[in-house]
Amino acid sequence: MPHDDMEDKPLTHLADKGSAPTVTDRKAHPTLAGKNAHPTLAGRNAELARDIVPTSILMGIVLLGWELAVRLRHVPTYILPAPSLIAATLWRHAPTYLSAAAITLSEALGGLLIGLWVGIIVAITITFWSNLERGILALAILLKATPMVAIAPLLIIWFGFGALPKIIITAIITFFPVLINVHSGLNAVDEALLALFHSLNASRWELFRYARWPSALPYLFAALKVVAPLSLVGAVVAEWAGASVGLGRTMWLAYTNLNLPALFAAVFCSATMGVGLYTVVIAVEKQVVFWKAKEE
Amino acid sequence: MNVDLRRVSKTFNGQGKPLLALDQVTLDIASGEFICIIGPSGCGKSTLLHLIADQIAPTQGNILLDGAPPAAARKRKAIAWMAQNPALLPWQTVLDNVSLPLHINRQYQRNAPSPVTLLEVMGLADFHAMYPHTLSGGMQQRVALARALSTGAPLWLMDEPFAALDELTRETLTEEVLQLWDDFRPTVLWVTHQIAEAARLADRVVIITAHPGRIHSIVPIKIARPRDETAPEIVAIIRDLRALLRHPQNQQPRARIVRGLF
Repeated sequence: MPHDDMEDKPLTHLADKGSAPTVTDRKAHPTLAGKNAHPTLAGRNAELARDIVPTSILMGIVLLGWELAVRLRHVPTYILPAPSLIAATLWRHAPTYLSAAAITLSEALGGLLIGLWVGIIVAITITFWSNLERGILALAILLKATPMVAIAPLLIIWFGFGALPKIIITAIITFFPVLINVHSGLNAVDEALLALFHSLNASRWELFRYARWPSALPYLFAALKVVAPLSLVGAVVAEWAGASVGLGRTMWLAYTNLNLPALFAAVFCSATMGVGLYTVVIAVEKQVVFWKAKEE
Repeated sequence: MNVDLRRVSKTFNGQGKPLLALDQVTLDIASGEFICIIGPSGCGKSTLLHLIADQIAPTQGNILLDGAPPAAARKRKAIAWMAQNPALLPWQTVLDNVSLPLHINRQYQRNAPSPVTLLEVMGLADFHAMYPHTLSGGMQQRVALARALSTGAPLWLMDEPFAALDELTRETLTEEVLQLWDDFRPTVLWVTHQIAEAARLADRVVIITAHPGRIHSIVPIKIARPRDETAPEIVAIIRDLRALLRHPQNQQPRARIVRGLF
């Protein structure tokens, strides 16, 4: 009999059905069961494995190929260092890289937060006062079209070698995608919802609070996914243009000395933090925009 | 709330030539009446509802709700609007969705049952903390209906509310609407494609013909509810309504209905 091995799962299913209210809508029951049937821990681990295993295998293959190519063909270190050498460099100078990474990360996060808030506030402003929309968007595009590589040295001339120019560059990079996406999101309210709010004679503030702002959240996170890793790139570029500390400074020093293991080690630190920030954004998104995750 | 339409016309100015969507519609609806509006696609029946809901303005003519223009009724939250799209807020629980009319435009609160009571009446009590996307289409429409009721509005405008649902769910929900209408006695304007549904629900069925949208005929149904669709007198009404919709130029069936009823 198949009953033995099916015992635990179908029983919880039946329990759900038993506790379901007596509603005539039959469709309600499976969804109710679906809601209560939380994914098991084993299921979650399997999901994690499915995500991580292929990536790890691919990375392993690439690193192994790289290592073998460098060793077998005797590629000089100043052209391409082997991954093992980069790892050794990283390990030997771990405190240096950690402190440099911490500085770059704090600059990136500072700029990210400022760009985020300014972007959100401007997006809300032009949604409420739509006659400002065209002018402000044109200015934002102008800012976006300006090459940051050119602005960075200028900011360093003005504000020195400290953190401020890095924060400004990162904020500018963050600002535009956030503004455009949040502005789209605030205007992406469903037609049917607008009709409903109109029928209740909702004020603009009520429409904003109950419909526009939540509608904009998925758009905000879409922007954040792009902007969070980019903020580190912005900070590094700004540091490259002139800094006394930070990963960009480490890279620049390593580059001018043709110390490629150190350069790669710094790049690795920056890339890892980028992936880390992205992961954090995804995790926060799942909590905040929970209704979207379930729709998919 | 009584609804009074006086020679109401609506022209849409799209690209190219203007489109006359509704032409000289005159209709008097008494307070507490259940009106079904049927007609072919694009005949302007939804436009008529949008006009009464103050979502668009008529090109000509007057609309009076209890003697005042629709805007006044809307501002007092006297209109409950419901359409095919349940339009629930996906980021709010069922209870918060049903409570929405109480949070919005707060200075007008009507004598309405509390959201908690409504959820109980509609069999949604156990779902109060759930989010809309976890519910089936039928349950979502039920939540939308509860939300419409929580306005306490004396006028319900329903634009094919259950058109997207399967037949059984639709039947169950229309029965519930009839029950609620009996309890609260609002004026109902119900747009539908379903002839049988109209025959089961309405005090009067308004038939609108297309191009331009005009009231072709108004068919009163004076049969006690609940109505059984298979009862011979309902079958006869369904047959006649269908004939009217199929051959609007032929006036014969209408005369027969009127004779048959009175």
